[in-house]
Amino acid sequence: MLLLLGFFAGPVLAQDAPSRSAPQSLNPDIALIADVAAAWFSSDEPLQTGGHDPTVTGFNLQQLELSAKSVVDPYFDFNANIVFSLYGVEVEEVYATTRALPARTQLRVGQFLTRFGRLNNSHPHGWDFVDQPFVLGRVLGGEGNRGLGVEGSVLLPVPWFTELVVSETMAGGEATARSFYGPQDLGVDRPWDLQTTVALKQFFPLSSDHSLFWGLSWAAGPNASGRDNRSELYATDLFYKYRPISRSSAAWLSLQGELIHRRRQVPDDVLADWNAYEQLTWRFSQRWALAARHELGTAARLLDGSLAEEADTLDPEWDATRQRVSLNTTFWPTEFSRLRLQGASDLVGWREQPDWSVFLAFEFAVGAHGAHAF
Amino acid sequence: MLSFLLSLLLLLLPARAELRVVASVPTLAAIAQEVGGEQVKVTSLSMAAQDPHWVDARPNLALALSKADLLIIVGLDLEIGWLPALQTGSRNAAVQTGGRGYLDTSRFVNLLEIPTGKLDRSEGDVHPGGNPHFLHDPRSIAPVAYGIAARMGELDPANAAAYTARAQALAEQAAERIAAWEAQLACLRGARFVGYHKSWPYLADWLGLEIVEHVEPKPGIPPNPAHIAHVVEAMERHGVPAIIEMAYTTDATVDQISARTGAKVLRIPGGVHVERKETVLTHMEEIVALLLPLCTGSTP
Repeated sequence: MLLLLGFFAGPVLAQDAPSRSAPQSLNPDIALIADVAAAWFSSDEPLQTGGHDPTVTGFNLQQLELSAKSVVDPYFDFNANIVFSLYGVEVEEVYATTRALPARTQLRVGQFLTRFGRLNNSHPHGWDFVDQPFVLGRVLGGEGNRGLGVEGSVLLPVPWFTELVVSETMAGGEATARSFYGPQDLGVDRPWDLQTTVALKQFFPLSSDHSLFWGLSWAAGPNASGRDNRSELYATDLFYKYRPISRSSAAWLSLQGELIHRRRQVPDDVLADWNAYEQLTWRFSQRWALAARHELGTAARLLDGSLAEEADTLDPEWDATRQRVSLNTTFWPTEFSRLRLQGASDLVGWREQPDWSVFLAFEFAVGAHGAHAF
Repeated sequence: MLSFLLSLLLLLLPARAELRVVASVPTLAAIAQEVGGEQVKVTSLSMAAQDPHWVDARPNLALALSKADLLIIVGLDLEIGWLPALQTGSRNAAVQTGGRGYLDTSRFVNLLEIPTGKLDRSEGDVHPGGNPHFLHDPRSIAPVAYGIAARMGELDPANAAAYTARAQALAEQAAERIAAWEAQLACLRGARFVGYHKSWPYLADWLGLEIVEHVEPKPGIPPNPAHIAHVVEAMERHGVPAIIEMAYTTDATVDQISARTGAKVLRIPGGVHVERKETVLTHMEEIVALLLPLCTGSTP
């Protein structure tokens, strides 16, 4: 043993040394992420639906996000995302996540973005586009579907990754539960006055280089059109990624899409509409990417197939299909800063001319390095 | 009656003989496999062809982690961009940071390039705790192996002696090979090299190399023309014979610099190719074989 130790004049065994992954501190990991954009719109009244989208011609502060995370104790993790705008601050998310439940289960409690679909529970710094797909703003709300509540999830005992997620959250908020109570929160008298969300997420490693993520989501809850009137959302999402890992490469290609069918009970009828987006992203080098996105939202129709028009109190003007095509290029000086040039043509069915927009968006971040979800 | 039923249930449950070990990088997976032998089943979350800073947190990796008894990582924030998402998604208390099944191997080695003074990212993508690329120094194999053996022994006391014995065997083999490699590469002591990224301080420390410049002006920052010119000038001034880079580096700048200076490009495998059943010592042999021609003056 002494002879062996003599050979190791460099790195030597230091069994009792504390972990040196980071300076020792009980303070949370904090990051600040700012998104600003210069925007131009051909229309005086752009139809951006996202709460953090550029909305005026000129300079826009999309958001300043303060992200904090830490370990509460052996049982819970803490996460918070607080969003600042020029005019106020809001708690986007604050929740505890269990660390040690049995049978591969997990609970989240607090205010959180629901796991409906794919993009909803992500943040702008993780998006491939400057703005939110309008279909999500239309159906879920400009801030994404979120609410105070509880979520349970489990990894199902099958050989491939399959996660079942169920949550109960408050159903109010124009920007957070738009298809449910929305701005007219009628309160909770019964358990079904909450929004229920169920999602099944499956991942298939097609090979080392090819990945496929498929989700099914359902959300239901009360809407404000009348007592016992409810809304239901049915969605599927698909994410495919090609990223060579069996050989060295900085490039990758991804294809992502979501399809949402929404049904809303209104007095004596049901409104139904279809909403979808699909996007292609090609990161062709370490620092550069190109992306294209198409979005579509049909007009809401009644059970007899006629246009909902005024019966759709959320979007009475939406009496024709709306489609938008966006193209962008992104440059990352480092992973902590990002410059994105994006243009879009918005073919709004109830407007005579398409709306055009151009954004030059800049994101910059400091603080703790966050982990990127897939 | 209840105890009888419980005993029956235990008998019906399949006996799990293997310790399930997940390693963040394939070199740690290879060491864990040698230490654990048939008593362990080892999975690597990344492959040798991947840059360990940039691994996709694919959900199937969380699934593997959900079943793990032990997670072994390099640490020093090397995996910080992707591993925490997998740990949370795994729902496995054992592999959470600080859990009984979480092992940060950076604690077993003396670290180099620990930043001093004020630290911020104006210096590039810095690692506040020190340079994490210590696995390039074969002298780290023994302390890491012993550390892994000790933790395996805590989790699986019945086989603790076997783990320690294998770690010792690996350490002895490594010591023997290290002595031979040092003799073969003694000519490189004092030789000057250029590295692409700051991946080489431990290799340099072991072999007495001097890394005079890096192609990246700062860690994680691709080179610009002015810096490339500076590197070329430094290489010509110091008579640098080779540029060392990880095989997973994709920047073609290195080839441009090589063409201008006549320096060789040594593409060092980023880790053990466990998928080809390589071991950590055969991996180091490959690295030595790449360096050896610099002693003889022939092309690697």
